[in-house]
Amino acid sequence: MGAFEYRQAQEIRDGFQRHGVRYLFLGKSGAILLGFPDTTQDADLFVEKTAENCAALVEALRELGFALNEAQAAEVRRGKDFIQLKNGPFDLDLIFAPDGIERFADAWRRRVEVEGFPVCHLDDIIASKAATNRQKDRESLPRLRSFRDYWMQRHRP
Amino acid sequence: MDELNEQQVAYGVNAGNAIPPDWLAEFEAAARRPLETHFRYAFIRTYKPVLDDAPFRAFDTTADYRRWCEENLPDWLGYGRV
Repeated sequence: MGAFEYRQAQEIRDGFQRHGVRYLFLGKSGAILLGFPDTTQDADLFVEKTAENCAALVEALRELGFALNEAQAAEVRRGKDFIQLKNGPFDLDLIFAPDGIERFADAWRRRVEVEGFPVCHLDDIIASKAATNRQKDRESLPRLRSFRDYWMQRHRP
Repeated sequence: MDELNEQQVAYGVNAGNAIPPDWLAEFEAAARRPLETHFRYAFIRTYKPVLDDAPFRAFDTTADYRRWCEENLPDWLGYGRV
């Protein structure tokens, strides 16, 4: 499997839209969509945890080529807080309850759209990474905070 | 003061948070690239031991996932909490 490609991000965007899945790009993959120059490996998606949304998510994932058996599909439908998928055309982390973000609705209200991709605001991405407090996040936070200052200046109304 | 340093003052929230000139140059360069090109530079693929060895994992809570990472992944991957 190669690196995650723009074409695959488009497939997520278009497939999830077809199925009406409510989600946001989160983590470094979200920051990269906002222009952050750094590297990462996986796409992280913050998915709204409702029965209807999780059912639509299963259908969208299968259409994208993720080989979910019935037991795995049931876990996605239940909206387990954190799901790692490495059984499809690219790796995907599904996060239903990210650290540092209280409610999906709040993050949705603050979201940024880039070429049709719904992305968490940089403040939410930073809050999530800060709350996680992992070594790899701690190392990336100063640069991400600087990028947030730069990005806010460029997008000031 | 050169152009980058002027920008550093302009973009910094305050003197203590001024954006280092080399980072600012990278932000500006990235902003000039089409998103598709930016993607090509940003997403990489390397094998991550243990983490990449199962096709599917689900955790009841995010805390369970963090705990699993700390107990099962090599420290050098950086998934442990500080």
